Amino acid sequence: PSKKSKKAQESDLVQQYFEAHSSSRVLTSDRTLQRLQTPKLQRDTLLGLLGKAPPLFAEEIEQLNQKHQKNFRQWMLQLHMGFNILLYGLGSKKPLLEKFRSSMLSEFDHVVINGFFPSITLKAILNSITLELLDHEGSFRNPGEQIDFIVRTLSADPSKHVFLIIHNIDGSMLRGDKTQNTLGQLATLQNMHLLASIDHINAPLIWDHSKMSLFNWLWFESTTFLPYAEETSYENTLLLQQSGALALSSLTHVLRSLTPNARCLSFQDFYQRCRESFLVNSDITLRSQLTEFKDHKLIRAKKGADGVEYLLIPVDNTTLSDFLEKNEQD
Amino acid sequence: MRAEMNETSATSSVSKGCFVFKSSKKRKRHEGAGGYFGESGSESFRICQELWETVQKNTEVIQDELNKKVLDSLVEFIRKHSFGSSSAEWRLRSSEIPTAALMLGVNVTDHGMTFRSLCNLLQDSLTPFVVSVHAKECSAHDSFKKSSSQIVQNNGSAQSLPVVVIFRDFEAFNPQVLQDFILICSRYIQELPFVLIFGIATSPSAVQQRLPHSVSSLLCIKVFQSLSCTQHLASVFEKLILDPQFPFKLSSRVLQVLVGIFLYHDFSVQNFVKGLQLSMLEHFSSQPLSVLCCQKHQAMLHVKTLSQQNVERVRHLPSFMRYVESSEETCQNLLKNLHKYHKNYYPALKCLHSLTSSLPKFPLGKQIRELHVSCNEKNIWEMKEYESAMQLLRILAKDELIGALERCAEILQSPCTKKMQKVMQQVQDFITRLQNLENVSSEDPSGDGVNTSKMELQRKTDLFQLQKANGVAETLLEKETRRTKKLSQFELLRSQVMDFIDGFVREYLTPAHLQPLSEVCYYSSSGTLRQRLNVTPRTSIQTALTHPFYYLQNEVLKTDSGTISSVAPDICIAYKLHLECGRLINLYDWLEAFATVLSATEDKGGNSEEPGQVDSMTHARFIQAVSELEFLGFIKSTKQKTDHVSRLTWGGC
Repeated sequence: PSKKSKKAQESDLVQQYFEAHSSSRVLTSDRTLQRLQTPKLQRDTLLGLLGKAPPLFAEEIEQLNQKHQKNFRQWMLQLHMGFNILLYGLGSKKPLLEKFRSSMLSEFDHVVINGFFPSITLKAILNSITLELLDHEGSFRNPGEQIDFIVRTLSADPSKHVFLIIHNIDGSMLRGDKTQNTLGQLATLQNMHLLASIDHINAPLIWDHSKMSLFNWLWFESTTFLPYAEETSYENTLLLQQSGALALSSLTHVLRSLTPNARCLSFQDFYQRCRESFLVNSDITLRSQLTEFKDHKLIRAKKGADGVEYLLIPVDNTTLSDFLEKNEQD
Repeated sequence: MRAEMNETSATSSVSKGCFVFKSSKKRKRHEGAGGYFGESGSESFRICQELWETVQKNTEVIQDELNKKVLDSLVEFIRKHSFGSSSAEWRLRSSEIPTAALMLGVNVTDHGMTFRSLCNLLQDSLTPFVVSVHAKECSAHDSFKKSSSQIVQNNGSAQSLPVVVIFRDFEAFNPQVLQDFILICSRYIQELPFVLIFGIATSPSAVQQRLPHSVSSLLCIKVFQSLSCTQHLASVFEKLILDPQFPFKLSSRVLQVLVGIFLYHDFSVQNFVKGLQLSMLEHFSSQPLSVLCCQKHQAMLHVKTLSQQNVERVRHLPSFMRYVESSEETCQNLLKNLHKYHKNYYPALKCLHSLTSSLPKFPLGKQIRELHVSCNEKNIWEMKEYESAMQLLRILAKDELIGALERCAEILQSPCTKKMQKVMQQVQDFITRLQNLENVSSEDPSGDGVNTSKMELQRKTDLFQLQKANGVAETLLEKETRRTKKLSQFELLRSQVMDFIDGFVREYLTPAHLQPLSEVCYYSSSGTLRQRLNVTPRTSIQTALTHPFYYLQNEVLKTDSGTISSVAPDICIAYKLHLECGRLINLYDWLEAFATVLSATEDKGGNSEEPGQVDSMTHARFIQAVSELEFLGFIKSTKQKTDHVSRLTWGGC
């Protein structure tokens, strides 16, 4: 009977997929965040508010983390035996790995890599290993050569153990096939030990069988329920509220640093209008003043079909009207 | 708490993502992995290391043995094409490159070992000019050229030796690069005797798919088939799992997990061995009595030095409960018995396997590993499958029966325990009696004997047909039982043999967990193994989101299935609400629903603010929860509609 119900569940899932994707029509209301009194929250207000939020289930979460910490010695043993440790589960695993680092790794060389850091590159990882850890001065032509150097150096000295802690090995910058392959090559080294964490629900898709065998993972469930404070702090895609605020603040900053003439420059004005109001006296001055805005990405020039240059402001209307409002108050 | 804050800040920065920590102290000699071994101590660790080395050595030996045939024929192929008498003349005629397509199977993880031994073999016996290339090293033309140019330079002096280029993963190569390489090679084939080897994971048609006709016509391809991975696994079983000399054992559950991963996921023997390694590590580090899990004489020594605490542990083993009065002596005797049990078990298992593996429909399984698992799980003679196997054995014809018994005698020849020798004596006795019976019956002119032999003949063909059409087995069995004819001499003897076999099985093939002290040698926590090797991270995340009580043991969170407590962590509430949506989610509505749920807990639902007025704390918590859901991959931002996000999963409430 259990088998039957499982099958029924499966077909149900299939049905749900097609239900979700059958019609292109979207049945949601048209209300937008504009209806909120404060549709946009500043980054620091957000952090301040979250800091004040009452901690939920602090005791239980603490218990949960204590339980994970009991594994530390086992991890060290398994790492030494050639396995690598991979943590998964809900909640930030950074504090747990940090705890591991500070309590177990003090007498070993180790590198911590923040995979969620938006501008992390493979080159930076390899460089920090070769430059800072292995004290190699020269440069390398390509990552392959650099890997070869690491392999040679580490296999020459088997008593030197290096631990790599990678927070979010599934981070958007490390997801690539080549990066994972290189990390896998590092993981196969006898005295290079990897501890990593994953969070994305589809993270295992980045490894095929051959990469899996390179990494030689042992999976540990470590659900911590801790907030992903640091991991999400770089993300500004969904904090739509934020991108607007950011643009507004940069708008204000650029404007403040301009000369009074430029400051009065309204965004919709053309050269003609500027001239009429005695703001600029030639085509070139206007252009040079516009460059300032272009450099800060507050204005964009676009050639129309007729070859005429149009100026547009890539900031949404509400931000602009906010800006005007604020400017008039000043 | 403050210290912890400092620690985190040491590795968080908005400007860099890599943090190097060099051990400040002069590196002291570390005692290695043994220092982290559990309470069982260094002796266990030493045994574990030794066993692991045996495993590694054995797997290599197995691999070499299995590959020997195909590798030898490959070497023969290369030799023929490069040194053969006709080769020079043949080469003048055509510009074809001799190519070997090596079919390796989809278990890419095991290929590394094969290629290593192939390289060694070629370099030892044929030519020093062997290059083996990975697809990932040759994405562009020039990098490929580099590796090949090296050989060309070296080969200047010794022209006659072939240059072997091995493509480890043919499917992954860029077809254009490959085509160009082949074209270049064919130009130089007169001066440089190239031989190509393709390691192919799928099927020979992969060559046709990747190379156009103009290029593949330049190759003279011969296909070599490597051994299937199930055969490989079978020999690993033979050498490691079913060897009485190998003291570490796996329980039937653990074996089922490992074989399950093998058969349903990866077909990789290397991963199977990895599972074996992990269970060894877990067993020796967690079970303090594992010091006794070694060769017999060593174990006897270890018993003498058992600490008082460990003796107490022995007393608490479930399998030991019957022998409460434990002392060194009983312990030694029991250990001896355990070793004896193993020595008798494996030959007995092989006998039973050889008897049942040729039966139609394979009631007890085709492979010996299946039989081993079911023998170890419970008493095999209580299983229905065993009964039907016995019934089928009872209708064997005479020469088949003799053949089967002879095979058993052969198996029993090698091990030399007294009991097994006695069994062998009996088996041989049966064989001679059966053979004599033949002489008697052929001499005996009375009708009965002739009749039976005719009947036997008839039945034999029946059994033969039956193997072809399995369905008939039951009807045949029924017919057999219904027939109440007077039994012939042969039939009498046959039933004696069967009773003997049955008794034999009952005596020697008892499940291991009933043996006292079996915990010492058997690793049985299959759950741990599954959690370490074969997991679904997504299930764990979704469980945490839908049933937080499972992780956070707070009574408040306990709810009926399908609902969620309103005091649950923010992300759980946001997740639950998002499940109710379709493909797109309106952020505003989501926020409002989220605020409603939160305000219900704070008991200010009565004097609720007017719609659109969400307090900033709720707003902040919502933003955090939503960005966490995005980080986890449940939603992503979309431009389809203002202030909407699209859902990346489906289903839900």
